[in-house]
Amino acid sequence: MILTIVMLGFLLLGAFAWYMEGISSRAPRWIALFAVIFAAGLFASFVLGSGTSFAELKPLVRVPWIPLFNIEYALAIDHLSIILLSLTFMLALICVLVSWQEIKEKAGFYYFNLLATFAGIIGVFTAVDLFLFFFFWEVMLLPMTAIIAIWGHENRHFAAIKFFIFTQVSSLLMLVAIILMAAAHYQQTGQLSFYYSDWLALDLPLEYARWLMLGFFIAFAVKLPSVPVHSWLPDAHTQAPTAGSVLLAGVLLKTGAYGLIRFVIFLFPEASQGFAPLAALLGVVSILYGAKMAFAQQDFKRLVAYSSISHMGFVMLALFSFNTTAYQGAVLTLVAHGLSSGALFSLAGIIYSRIHSRNLADMGGFWSSAPRMGGFTLAFAAAAFGLPGLANFIGEFMSLVGAYQVFPVAAVFAALGLIGSAVYGIVLFQSTFHGPPGDKVEDLSGRELVISGSLLGLLLLFGLFPNMILEYSSAAGEQLALLSQGVSNLTGVTYAH
Amino acid sequence: MPTEMAAAPLLSNVQFTNAMLLAISPQLIVAFGIVLSLLLIAWKRSRRMLQGLTSAIFIVALIASVPLLFNNEIPVTILLKVDGYGVFAFMLVCFSGLMVTLLSGQLLQRNTEAHDEYYLLLQLVILGGGVLVVSDHFASLFLGFELLSLALVGMVGFFREGKHAVETAFKYLILSATASSFMLLGIAFIYSQTGSLHFSLINTGVNGADQLGAELTNTFHALGMLLFFAGMAFKLSLVPFHFWTPDVYQGAPTPVTMLMATVSKVAMFTVLMKCLFSQGVFVQSHMMQLMALVAILSMVFGNVLALKQENLKRLLGYSSIAHMGYLLIVLLITSMQDINFAWQSALFYLSAYVLASLSIFMVLIFTTQEALLPGQSQQQAEDDTTIGSWQGLFWRKPMMAFLAILAVLSLAGIPLSMGFIAKFYLLTFASQAGLWWLIAALVVGSGIGLFYYLRIIFSLFAAPFSEQKAEQKVQQQAVSSDGTGQVQASGNWPWKGVLVTGFVFAGLVFGLYPDVLMQVISRLGELTEPLAVLDQTP
Repeated sequence: MILTIVMLGFLLLGAFAWYMEGISSRAPRWIALFAVIFAAGLFASFVLGSGTSFAELKPLVRVPWIPLFNIEYALAIDHLSIILLSLTFMLALICVLVSWQEIKEKAGFYYFNLLATFAGIIGVFTAVDLFLFFFFWEVMLLPMTAIIAIWGHENRHFAAIKFFIFTQVSSLLMLVAIILMAAAHYQQTGQLSFYYSDWLALDLPLEYARWLMLGFFIAFAVKLPSVPVHSWLPDAHTQAPTAGSVLLAGVLLKTGAYGLIRFVIFLFPEASQGFAPLAALLGVVSILYGAKMAFAQQDFKRLVAYSSISHMGFVMLALFSFNTTAYQGAVLTLVAHGLSSGALFSLAGIIYSRIHSRNLADMGGFWSSAPRMGGFTLAFAAAAFGLPGLANFIGEFMSLVGAYQVFPVAAVFAALGLIGSAVYGIVLFQSTFHGPPGDKVEDLSGRELVISGSLLGLLLLFGLFPNMILEYSSAAGEQLALLSQGVSNLTGVTYAH
Repeated sequence: MPTEMAAAPLLSNVQFTNAMLLAISPQLIVAFGIVLSLLLIAWKRSRRMLQGLTSAIFIVALIASVPLLFNNEIPVTILLKVDGYGVFAFMLVCFSGLMVTLLSGQLLQRNTEAHDEYYLLLQLVILGGGVLVVSDHFASLFLGFELLSLALVGMVGFFREGKHAVETAFKYLILSATASSFMLLGIAFIYSQTGSLHFSLINTGVNGADQLGAELTNTFHALGMLLFFAGMAFKLSLVPFHFWTPDVYQGAPTPVTMLMATVSKVAMFTVLMKCLFSQGVFVQSHMMQLMALVAILSMVFGNVLALKQENLKRLLGYSSIAHMGYLLIVLLITSMQDINFAWQSALFYLSAYVLASLSIFMVLIFTTQEALLPGQSQQQAEDDTTIGSWQGLFWRKPMMAFLAILAVLSLAGIPLSMGFIAKFYLLTFASQAGLWWLIAALVVGSGIGLFYYLRIIFSLFAAPFSEQKAEQKVQQQAVSSDGTGQVQASGNWPWKGVLVTGFVFAGLVFGLYPDVLMQVISRLGELTEPLAVLDQTP
C-alpha cells in the first residue's frame, strides 16, 4: 500500500508543484525536493520497519483492475526491487538537485514530469501483474520524452522521437508476448491471468517459450541497451537536460536489466539458456563497441553515454552466464553504474552551466581554477574504469569471474573492455582539466558539492563494503544457479554454480 | 427454387408488433425529428432554434436507445434486426451527430445565408447511419448506405464559395456513386447464387453451416462478395480505395469531416461486420486472405502517407486509413465462437476511435475560431490548419492542448488512453486467431504512426515564437477590429470549457478504468462467456 501512496504522492505533489509555479517561481523545486525526501523516508521506514524478509517476492497489494481480462493492480517487492528502488530514490534526489538552477522556464511543469517519471519507475520495479507492468513501462516513458523534448538541447525533438519510437515499437512486441503468455495460461488452467506468480507455475513447450522470450528480450535489450538496438541512447542522453540524462543513465537503463532478470530469465529459464550464447555475444560486442565509440567522441555527454552501453554489456554478459557470482556482480554493477554515470552526467551539467558547451575541445585546463571539480571528475572517471576500492570494480570483477566459468572466451574479450574504459576515462579527464590553464571556471558550489560528495561517498562505501548489497542479492543468485543446474544439459553448456 | 423459400418469412413477418416499434424507436425518433424540423423551418427560420431542436432529437434518440442495449435480438420485418451491438453502434453514431450539431453553430454563424438545410442533412446522415447499423438485409443496407452518402455529399459541398467545395463534393459524389454501383453489382451476384437478399443464410433454405460452406465456394458468390467488400472499402477508405480520403477530409467543412470520420466509419463498419458474419464469409479462405492483405496495406500505406503531411485534416484522413486497417483485423475470424469477442473488440475500438476523433476535431475547430484573422473565413482557416499552427498551444490553453494530447495518444495507442486498451483488444484477438502477419503489420504501422503523432504533440509543447505570433495576431485583430472583432467576440461559446473538460474526463476515465465500458460491451452479446475466443489453440 505504501508504494501506491508514494506513487500517488509523486503525481499529486507534481500537480501541486505545477500549480504553485504561478504563485512562486521557487516553489516547484522545493515541493519536488520535499516529495522525494518524504517518499524516500516513507519507503525506508516501510522496508526497515516491516520486520519481514523480502528474500522472496512479497505481495503488497492485489486488487482487480480490469476484471474482464482478469487484470489486477498487483504490487510486490523483493530484494532486487528494494535495491533498485533505493537507487531510484537516491538518484531522484540528485535529479532534483541538479535541476535546481538549470531549469528556469516552465519549472512547474518540469517538476511535474520529473515526479511523474519517478512514479512510473517505481511502478515498473514493483508491478507483478504484467499488464500493469506494461502500463507503467509506458507511463514512465511519456514524461521522460516530454523532459527531453521540452527542456533538452538543440536537437531535442529528433532525440525524443527516436527514444520514444525505439522503446514503443519494442515494447509492442513485449505486449504481444504478454498477451500470448496470458493466453497460454488460459489454455492450461482455464483462466486468463497476467499475474507473475501464476506465470511462474506455467509449463510452456520450449518452442513456444523461445518466441515469447524473444518478445520480452527485445524490449529489454532496447532499454538496456544492447548493441544492435542501442542507437537511441547516445542521442537521448546527449540532448536531455542534466536531470534527464542522470535519470536515463542511472535508472531507466536499469529497468531493462530488471526486466531481463525478472521476466526473461526467471520466466523462461530454459529458453533463455538456449539463447545465452547469443546474448553473451551481444554483451561482449556492446562492451567493446561502446568503449571504442566512447573513445571517439568529442562531446562530454555522448562519451559518457557510449560508456554506458559498454558497462551495460557487462550486465548482459553476467546475467546470461547463469551463476551466482556473475549475477551478484551484475546487480552490483547496476547500482555502481547508476551512481557513477549519474555523477558523470551531473558533472557534465555542472560544466555546461559554466561554459555552455559540451564539446571537449572547448574545455581544458580547468584544474587551476576548479580543483575540487577536477578531483571529483577524476574520482568518477576512475570509478567508471573500475579502480579497486570503488563499487564498479567489484561489480565488473565479479561479473567477469562468473562469466569466465561459462563463456571463457567471451570473458577474455570482455576484460579488454576494461582497458578501453581506462583509455576513454583518462581522455575525458585529461581533455577537461589538463592542459594550459584556460578560461576561469567557478569551482563547485555548496549544492554541487553535496551532489558529488554523496555519490562518491556511496561509491566508496559499496566499493569497500560490497556485502551491503551482495548479501541481499545472493539469495536470488543461488536460485538462478539452481535453475540453470536443472536445465544445463539442455544447451550443451555446462553451467558452474 | 430458393426464391420461393425466401418469400415465406417475408409474408409471415409483415405484422408489426409493439416490441418491433419499440426496438426501432430511436431511428423513428430521428425520422420524426426530420419532419418536425421541416415544420419548424416553415414556421420560423431560426438557425439557433433548429440547432437546439436537432440536438434535442439526438439526445432523445440516445436516451431511447439505452433501454434497448441489453435486449434480446428483435427482428423487425426481414429488413432490420435490432441487437445490442447495433444499438450500441447507433448510440456512437448519435453521439457523434450530437457533437457535430453542437460544433456546427459557429461555422454557420459566419455565413449570412440561412442554412436550415445543413441540420436537415445532418439528421438524414444520422438516420442513414441508424438504418445501416440495424439492417439485416441487403435492401435496407443499400437504403441506409445511400441515405448516408447522398446527405453527406450535400454537406461536403455545403459552402459552395469555399476554395475546395466543388472539387471535394464532386470527388466524393462520383466515388461514392462508383462504390454504390460496385456494391449493387456485388449484391446482385450474391443474390444470383443464394436467392436471398437476407444477410443470414440460415433462414433461406440452406441448412446448417456445413452446407453453407460447401455451397458458397463457387466463383460468382466469391466475386459478389468481393465487389460488395470493395464498395464498403470505398466508404471505409481502405487501401486501394482510399484516394478520395485526404482530399475530402481536407476540403469538407471541419464538422462534416468529423461526421465522416465518425458516423460514416462506425455505421459502415458495423454493417459490414454484420453482413460478413451472417454470411459466414470466414469459411472462404480466399476472401479472408484478401481482407488480410487489404488490412496490411491499409495499415502500412495509411501511416506512411501520413508521415509527410503538414495539414492536420489531411493527416487525420491518412491516419483514418490506417485505423480502419487495424480494425479490419476483427473481421478475420476463424470460427463462429470468435464472433462475440470480435464484436466486443470492434465496438471498443470504434468507441475509442470516435472519442479520439471527436476530441481532436473539436480542438481543431475551437483553436481556429480563436486564431482567426480578420477577413479570413473560418472554413478556409480550418482547411489550412497545419501542425505548426498548434504550436505552443499547451502554454496558452492547457486544457485544450491536453485534450488534443490525449486524443493523439489514443490514436497512437499509448497507455493512459482508451486507444491503448482498444489496441490491446485487437492484439488479443489477432494473437488468438494466429494472425502473425497482421500483428507484424500492426506493430510496424504503429511505429511509423508515432512519427507524425509525436510531431503533433511536440508542436503543442514547442514554445517561444508562437507566443509572439499569437500576440501579433491579437494586435492585428485589435487594430482592424472595429467592425469584425465584435462578431467574433460574440461567437465565444460558453459551453466550450465544459465540453473540453468533459471529453478530457471521459478520455481519462475510459483510459484508466476501461472496465466501465468493457462491462457494457461484453453484456451486449447474448453469450455471457466473453472469452470464448481463447478456447482454441492458436
